[in-house]
Amino acid sequence: MKRFFKQIKEGISDLLIVWYDELRSILSDAAVMLLFFAAPLLYPLVYGFVYNQEVAKEAKLVVVDLCNSPESREFRRLCDATRDVNVVATCTNMEEAREMLRRKEAYGILKFPSEFSKCLASKEKANIQLYSDMSSLLYYKCFLLTATEVSLKMNKDIQICRMENATEREAEVTITPLDYEEVAFYNTQSGFDSFLLPAFLILLIQQTLIIGICVLSGDTYDRKRFHRMTPILRHKRGTFRIVFGKALCYLMIYLISSFYLLFIVPQIFSLPQIGNPLHIISFLLPYIVACTFFGMTLSIFIKEKEAPYVLLVFLSLIFLFISGVSWPGSAVPPFWKYVSYLIPSTFGIHGFLKLNSTGAKLSDISFEYISLLIQIVIYFISACLIYRHRIKQECV
Amino acid sequence: MENYSTIKRIWMIMVREWRILTSRRIYLIAMVGAPLLCVLFFFSLMGKGLPEKMPVAVVDMDNSNISRRLTRQLDNFKQTDVVAHCTSFHEARKLVQKGSAYGIYYIPEGLEHDILSFRQPKVSFYTNNSYIVAGSLLFRDMKTLSILGSAYVARELRYAKGQTERQAMAEIQPIAIETHPIGNPWINYAVYLCNTILPGLLCVMIIITTVFALGSEVKSRRSNELLRIAKDDIMTVMIGKLLPHTLIYFLIITFIEVMLYSYMHFPCQNGLGSMLIVSYLFVLACESIAVFFYALIPILRIALSLSAFFCMLSFSISGFTFPVTEMHPILQTWANVFPLRHFFLLYVDNALNGISFCYSWVSYLALVLFMFLPLLSSWRLKTVYKYDVYDI
Repeated sequence: MKRFFKQIKEGISDLLIVWYDELRSILSDAAVMLLFFAAPLLYPLVYGFVYNQEVAKEAKLVVVDLCNSPESREFRRLCDATRDVNVVATCTNMEEAREMLRRKEAYGILKFPSEFSKCLASKEKANIQLYSDMSSLLYYKCFLLTATEVSLKMNKDIQICRMENATEREAEVTITPLDYEEVAFYNTQSGFDSFLLPAFLILLIQQTLIIGICVLSGDTYDRKRFHRMTPILRHKRGTFRIVFGKALCYLMIYLISSFYLLFIVPQIFSLPQIGNPLHIISFLLPYIVACTFFGMTLSIFIKEKEAPYVLLVFLSLIFLFISGVSWPGSAVPPFWKYVSYLIPSTFGIHGFLKLNSTGAKLSDISFEYISLLIQIVIYFISACLIYRHRIKQECV
Repeated sequence: MENYSTIKRIWMIMVREWRILTSRRIYLIAMVGAPLLCVLFFFSLMGKGLPEKMPVAVVDMDNSNISRRLTRQLDNFKQTDVVAHCTSFHEARKLVQKGSAYGIYYIPEGLEHDILSFRQPKVSFYTNNSYIVAGSLLFRDMKTLSILGSAYVARELRYAKGQTERQAMAEIQPIAIETHPIGNPWINYAVYLCNTILPGLLCVMIIITTVFALGSEVKSRRSNELLRIAKDDIMTVMIGKLLPHTLIYFLIITFIEVMLYSYMHFPCQNGLGSMLIVSYLFVLACESIAVFFYALIPILRIALSLSAFFCMLSFSISGFTFPVTEMHPILQTWANVFPLRHFFLLYVDNALNGISFCYSWVSYLALVLFMFLPLLSSWRLKTVYKYDVYDI
């Protein structure tokens, strides 16, 4: 019994020594301070600012009206009146309009052929041509949706006019026997910020954390300082204490910055937030721990403190795409899907999006939660092996 | 060594740099491995062009002939896959929250009956726009289905009155829109993303690796040696040191462009040659930025942090996902200091739209202007190399 207490006491004191040592090296390293504090503080603000307009509005459209009839002018007016499209000019020929596209004074052309009104009058199908610059899909979407909406509305009016001796309701039902309504869930304005920022924030936690851990470990390796841990390693279960002590230190720092990232930043940019904060926090804990052990495991590849920047920064974009957020998860090839299961951010992003944006409960994201726990176990074991190996290697 | 010519000195530094590059694994990974991994990853991810078979849940409260036909038609869309037939809306919403479906198509009870008795029933569809790509693609299909569904019934009514198909269609749809997406008629997402992401990722590797290579000299305390070979001329050092890097990056970006335009056959209106010129200018601009960053902050890790921040931001601010013209005016100005922004504009002009040089010369000029940055910062780099201070 006495020995048991002694061991606990020793364990806690070892833990605190490691914890204190790690904290000191974090605070004394400007680069790690940048990664752990400045990046989470400033980067989301810049990023949110970039996408803050959420959607494209008033996309510039130029009209080529070869028909110049009341119908074509009406169509033009209705397009101009929408939020999405702004008709900047009316040209008399195509070449003029194309020149405007080349000069980037407009991004789309709407062309009414000369027989447009004639077709309408003779009850033939009248075609309108819509040309769109494809440098931005958002503009294309604006033009296409607006033109479709306006044509649907005008079609309805034309058909009602053509229907003699029918009541208004009767005409309406004959034209659209089946009505529909559309609802955008969770990100009601289909905004870019609301879609990308949550994923980005979760990824930022992982990337700054793993790069930071690798920089610290690379620094220790560079200066051959692993041996400072040898006294603790000699204790029973020493490796556990070292890994736990360090992880405790990162967890403490990241709980604070995560609170800022996941609760304050969304407030600043008024992103959708319908999750239960308690559920989010209890999901966040395993995520940060998994990222920590993941970073410790990756540090095996790092032999100097500058290498993490070279080797890990570009992976951020791959991690974002592989997670299946910007590219739908159902379309990620199986091979990459399995690779994505190795990375904590895959589960972190999905779990957080579901909790925060769609208001799911913890029980709805059990898959992500359990996967993170499995990752914690696996990466914890690998982290212990790696740290033990490194410390012993240096002592020889 | 005193009376060696400048060319000879540059050559000596080049040979020395080549030895460093080949002897350390990190350079091989960063300069060749990482870009190739990215090419492989993005081509295999987006090879099909558009995401296909995205899961959607159908709530069919009617279970009639018409409602089943609607469901079947929805399933027939290339990008849609009906994964669940739910009995209640609640059940479908749970599926969306779990992420196993991105949208819900709701068919109310009595649909067929109401259509036949002219009561204008209403179907509803819901898309989860937290996943914006999936959401908007599903939105498009479900909207088309709903409009078609209505048109289908209207057409049947007109057939019954003895109209021909041509007459019926002209009556149902007096005005039709024909869309022409210029340069990318398939609305292929791979064209839209890969053309900028892959050079962008190479830009990340170039800037970070160049800063790393410049700083490593000081770290290993060999920068004095470089200056000695160059007879204290920092331009000789820079040219000799960066020429081997430049050659490797030229090869890599040539490979990327050839893959994009000759292997994947992405549209390239002005020809591969024009894109290669743009790419080479882009590589040089990225290297110049890297030299500038290191001279600005000669503490290697801080310079690397700055580079990483700059590179990752350039993806957002270059405007290939969200148009720069929609951003805040301050950002529209600042976007110009990112080489990737100019690369994107030149790619749009050259490859996508195929317009002539006189419309895009500003961006060419901008890329060339980046190359003057090393000249501005060379005096500082020289000081750093002379007094090789590594750590603070």
